[in-house]
Amino acid sequence: MVAGGLALAFVVFLLAGHPGFREERVVMFLAINFMAGTLIYYIRLAQRGEDFYLRPIPGLKAVEEAVGRSTEMGKPVLYVPGIMDMDQVETVAGVIILGHVAKMTARYETSLNVPVSRSIVMKAGREIVRESYTMEGRPDLFQDDMVHYLTDDQFAYAAGVNGIMVREKPAACLYMGKFYAESLILAETGNSIGAIQIAGTASQAQIPFFVTACDYTLIGEEFFAASAYLSQKPELLGALKGQDMLKAFVTATILLALLLRVFNDLGWIDWNVIDFLTVQ
Amino acid sequence: MLWKRQIPILIATVVGLLTLFGWFTNNPGIESFVNDDATQWFDILASFAIFLGALNLMKLQGRKVLKQHSGWQYSLFTIGGFIFAIVAGFIYKGNDAVAWGFHVTSKGTLFKWMFDFIFTPLSATMFALLAFFVASASYRAFRVRNLEATLLLVSGIIIMVGRVPLGSSISSWFIMYLLVLVGSIAANIKLQDKIITFGVLLGGVVIVTIWGSLAGWPVDQPSIFYLPMLQDWIYNNPNVAGARAIMIGIGLGIFATSIRYILGVEKSYIGE
Repeated sequence: MVAGGLALAFVVFLLAGHPGFREERVVMFLAINFMAGTLIYYIRLAQRGEDFYLRPIPGLKAVEEAVGRSTEMGKPVLYVPGIMDMDQVETVAGVIILGHVAKMTARYETSLNVPVSRSIVMKAGREIVRESYTMEGRPDLFQDDMVHYLTDDQFAYAAGVNGIMVREKPAACLYMGKFYAESLILAETGNSIGAIQIAGTASQAQIPFFVTACDYTLIGEEFFAASAYLSQKPELLGALKGQDMLKAFVTATILLALLLRVFNDLGWIDWNVIDFLTVQ
Repeated sequence: MLWKRQIPILIATVVGLLTLFGWFTNNPGIESFVNDDATQWFDILASFAIFLGALNLMKLQGRKVLKQHSGWQYSLFTIGGFIFAIVAGFIYKGNDAVAWGFHVTSKGTLFKWMFDFIFTPLSATMFALLAFFVASASYRAFRVRNLEATLLLVSGIIIMVGRVPLGSSISSWFIMYLLVLVGSIAANIKLQDKIITFGVLLGGVVIVTIWGSLAGWPVDQPSIFYLPMLQDWIYNNPNVAGARAIMIGIGLGIFATSIRYILGVEKSYIGE
């Protein structure tokens, strides 16, 4: 009903001359609204109690195993939330996953070490870890210094984290956030100390390094799905289902566009789908 | 609760929607907010927040030294370096001819000396470690364990050799002879028959030799076996296809995550 009303209002707005609206971006505008609508639909379905099948992600199952391993060995868990600030969605996702990991370390009474490279990430990380320990009923185990600042500089940060690794020898190293060239330096050092390593990033160039050096890697969308998987909240799982449906839709669009483009190249149709889909 | 829960979610929703839909308007006020003001606000906040980080660093390192925890000697370097940088940045320029502010980039100042002769070599040292780590990581990745690892190994070798000057000197006919050899090894492993293996090897060598003689042995023909062309094809086709698939997944993930924040469905970032 609401969606229909909004669509009608938009059509009226378009017909009325659409003041202030960038006409050349209308395809993107419609696509964004369609995608947001799909996500909202599945979130509402989940809230009404619908059950969804979500494929298991080994890397996420391994997070609890990694914390358990650290507990058995009596060694800390090292969590690295990337080297960028909170204006990056990957850092936000990394800090949110930190909250879930902190719940596990609170439950198992395992020490957690989170060196960060940005002051705002330190504050946000500290708050989320504090909340997690409180929610698990162990505020006594929380210490401010669990989340501590090292430096803003990329390689100085890598040197600092490597130092922590070789001195403290954590049993589990988790890298979740935005990474650049330091990714391999961190992951190889973690590998050399025999830690179980789980990485998650949307930094495309760093994924091969993590795949090579870590035991598990959350690639792209899996990384953003981690929070929903770990929390098991219905509305978040609904959003994941919506995301999977969108992926199917995007795949279908690519195939259809390919077909239309071939028809265009053969001269069967005049309309060029690439011009239509290209963001202006 | 209102200040710690509802207000932050409201701010995230309003600013998120404004940023998202601001891209579709040609209102200069909204465009200026989205492109300049919002990012500048963040930069200003981040600049002030550096004090929190610096204080935290000094507190931890100072405590380590005072309580003489293991490795406390390293903390002395951190504290010393921090104080030295503060002195070079705010107290002593080392060159009176240079104005404050310009001393961080001008030659002959203490800060520039520190940057050029301490900071840069140390950063370069860390960066140089990558060469060794790439070698050790490649060794693990390229070990022949299964079909995927073998494909990775072969593609890696073709890309590496095809991108160096030596690669362009290797004739495509040499690669064809190599493939005949590999094919006969594969036939031997699969069929365990010496006669068939010999037949594959001899047949392949004869075909390649006759073909080469007729074509005049051009180094870059047939181009499918010429390493620079082959690596170019691997790099621009299978590699780009895989990378784009990951990119689409990342894009969808970022979009879905952002929508969850904007709608207030995901509240973990405020500790809920």
